[in-house]
Amino acid sequence: MTGLLEPRTGRWSPRVGDVTTQAEPVPPGAAEPDDDEVGRRFAAGDEQALAWAYERWAARVHGMAVRAFGPGPDAEDVTQQTFVSAWTGRAGYRPDQGPLPAWLTGVCRHKIADTWAKRDRQRRAAEAAIIEAQARPTGGPQPVDAAVADRVLLLGELDRLGQPQRGIIELAFFADLTHAQISERTGLPLGTVKSHIRRTLERLRDRLEVDGAALHA
Amino acid sequence: MPHCTPEDLGLAALREPLGPDAAEHLAGCASCTDEVGRLRRAVDVLTVPELAEPTAPVAPPPALWAGIAAATGVSSAPRPQVVAASAPPAGPVPDAPPVPLAPLPAEPVPLRPAAARPLPPEPPVAPVVPLRPRRSRLLLAAAAALVVGLGVGAGAVALSGREDEGVAVAAAQLDPLAGSDATGTASVVEREDGTRVLRVELAADAPAEGYYEAWLLTESVSGLVPLGVVRAGTEEFELPPGIDIGEYPVVDVSVEPLDGDPAHSGESVARGLLES
Repeated sequence: MTGLLEPRTGRWSPRVGDVTTQAEPVPPGAAEPDDDEVGRRFAAGDEQALAWAYERWAARVHGMAVRAFGPGPDAEDVTQQTFVSAWTGRAGYRPDQGPLPAWLTGVCRHKIADTWAKRDRQRRAAEAAIIEAQARPTGGPQPVDAAVADRVLLLGELDRLGQPQRGIIELAFFADLTHAQISERTGLPLGTVKSHIRRTLERLRDRLEVDGAALHA
Repeated sequence: MPHCTPEDLGLAALREPLGPDAAEHLAGCASCTDEVGRLRRAVDVLTVPELAEPTAPVAPPPALWAGIAAATGVSSAPRPQVVAASAPPAGPVPDAPPVPLAPLPAEPVPLRPAAARPLPPEPPVAPVVPLRPRRSRLLLAAAAALVVGLGVGAGAVALSGREDEGVAVAAAQLDPLAGSDATGTASVVEREDGTRVLRVELAADAPAEGYYEAWLLTESVSGLVPLGVVRAGTEEFELPPGIDIGEYPVVDVSVEPLDGDPAHSGESVARGLLES
């Protein structure tokens, strides 16, 4: 996903020296793989890589879910669904396009947006039920919350972007960096960054204006 | 001054400051301002604090893994102490109150005030609210139920006991539909504060693909109310306030593919009629 958002080493680097009393699935003497190796094995379907990914990044994902929904069942569902979807959809993860934790962050964004959409559906169903129960004449079905639906739509469009476009727009949207800071972070020329930002925003605009309109109709 | 370049319009949509000439032109040009507005819709939809880069890690409850293992069928397991160690143990834990998202405000508050561009504000720090213990038990029950089916033919059980958690006002036996061996029970429980939950007890193998979702249907199946993801074991779903279970008396469990489509897949595995 975004090779640009995540340091390849640092706070999530493997704890090679840690001593554990639990059964260790790694062959004796083998060091734990680094983050890139976990990503490659995850993509290849190695079940142990899912456990390693969870050890290293579940707190990061859960922190995001808790920030959105507060501690409790909603946040726990988002974290669970993020890892379940990431595993079942691992064919969509390309290690050469960016580190696994950044991809998990993207999956988590989808799950948060999906949860909002689900709440919106429930709200509309409840309102419809109340209106029907009161036999009140109304002007048809309740409107979909446009921002909720647009968010799901646009996150899907981000998934279709290649690199470096995706990393650039994610730094602008989600890390709140200016184009100058993005240029500095990525080493790409200022003009290139500006041009990618412009093209991606136009693409998202088109997506909203074409499909967003149909969605809300 | 000619019109702004497309690049400048993009930066303006991101609320980056432009050079003096471009800024002056933009302020007086309806067509450039209109284009910035069109580009900015996507910016405003996506730059909400909830979707920003992760800030403070929070270790998930230890039981969370059981649900992932159950849903994926993997036999490996993370070491709980390693998971716990990945979040700062003593540091402040963000405990932002749930953002009122149903419905979302029509105009999400952008992360960035114009031109100032500070870092996203840290979530407010507040005391940690203990997680409700119910969840952990559910997850363990869910994992256990995959090994041994639970609650088959236990319709009577759903109506008895649990007085401390509310009064059962209706119950249904869930019978398997064609090609399925899922069974279970469901009951509508009214709690002391007047809210109602649907308690579903499902005995079923995890689906080969996708997940189970619970619904309330009208008898003619012309109306559907989605309730949420259901696993084998016991789950509770709060019912939308005001819903008439006389009108939506059918409890339905479907298999939903992970395709992002919120509609019912049409593939139901168990169904039953609520009777008071």
